[in-house]
Amino acid sequence: MQIKVKELVGENAMTKADGEKVYSLIHDPLIEGQTVELDFEGVEVFASPFFNAGVGRLYADLQSDALNAGLKINHLSSFGQRVLHRVLDNAKEYYLASPAHRQAIDRIVQDTAAAM
Amino acid sequence: MMPLKLCIPRLNDKRQDFNKLAHLWQQVDAAGEKAHVHFDFSNCDFLRPNAVAFLGGLARLIEYRGGLPQFETGTIRQEIKTNLYQNGFANVMGIDSPSWDGNSIPYREDSHEDQNSIVHYLKSNWLGKGWINVTPTLANEIAGQMWEIYTNAFEHSQSAIGVFSCGQYFPKSHELLLAVADFGVGIPSNVRHHAGKPIHGKEAMRWAFAPGNTTARELPFPRGMGLDLLKEFIRINHGHLEIYSKDGYARVDSNGEVYENLATFFDGTLVQVRLVCDDTLYLLSNEQESSPFF
Repeated sequence: MQIKVKELVGENAMTKADGEKVYSLIHDPLIEGQTVELDFEGVEVFASPFFNAGVGRLYADLQSDALNAGLKINHLSSFGQRVLHRVLDNAKEYYLASPAHRQAIDRIVQDTAAAM
Repeated sequence: MMPLKLCIPRLNDKRQDFNKLAHLWQQVDAAGEKAHVHFDFSNCDFLRPNAVAFLGGLARLIEYRGGLPQFETGTIRQEIKTNLYQNGFANVMGIDSPSWDGNSIPYREDSHEDQNSIVHYLKSNWLGKGWINVTPTLANEIAGQMWEIYTNAFEHSQSAIGVFSCGQYFPKSHELLLAVADFGVGIPSNVRHHAGKPIHGKEAMRWAFAPGNTTARELPFPRGMGLDLLKEFIRINHGHLEIYSKDGYARVDSNGEVYENLATFFDGTLVQVRLVCDDTLYLLSNEQESSPFF
């Protein structure tokens, strides 16, 4: 299955809404073990909300091995790659944390406030 | 009801100028609903783009509250008028003005998140006037970075009147400036709501700027990273980013990050970015990362 991202969202892949369009198309096929190609040819501008909503959240249901095997990213600009890597590092850290650790992450700001 | 006379002073972009802007907002806020507000420019001999974006938003805020903003155009000095003709703000003030030209970058108002229109503005009007020798690749990267400011304003501010921006090119310092204002709840308020406890403005700003932190945890996936990428871009490329938000202040430049409490504040956020227009300085993400994405 190939998705031409430009046909789906245009030249600018930046918003959460556009990311959700991508996610809704690729999530179930990836769960079923299909191979999905995201072709970014012609997409020029990237921002983190798009990748957070479109790709980063896949870690909720899929492990790195399955994603590396099933999701192919092609023709993504250097900047797009950097944004995607950063978003994925954050998503991986979030989803790989134990529930208790996640709660601890969320509590950090509360502890900071209590200490003031 | 007696109209409120709002005396607009000289407005640059230093801390004391921000205090003056916040003081203007406080007067409008104290005037309450349905206030008639006269903007008097008799004492104003200088207006930076941050002030233009702020005053434009303030006028819309007055309208949103059922009031009537009125710009006393007869009090505006010619040099200020010329600047406001150039950036198009004169139209907002009700003055028929010739088309935009010069070093100004148009004032604009965005009531909703229209990414294509804003990217076009950034690439064509902000970067694309020929004052920076920008390749298409660099323009796309800078537009993506600046978009993070807009998307934060739209997503987190809950501003009922949208987002206001203005810019300018400074030939002598060879700098490009973009100012973005909203009149929403401000970053510290969002962090406090997220924490459920009081927290100082500077600590709230520090938390919001940390990698991966976001106040939008109600959505079922991790967020953040936009401000982290922007910080990195600003630091590497000798830029300068300042954010005044409610009672918190953040500054990022090549020297690092500074967070402070603000004694004088307004409900909203004012962001200002300065970029040096020397493309030899820019370090792009040309290095392809060889590691797998996942």
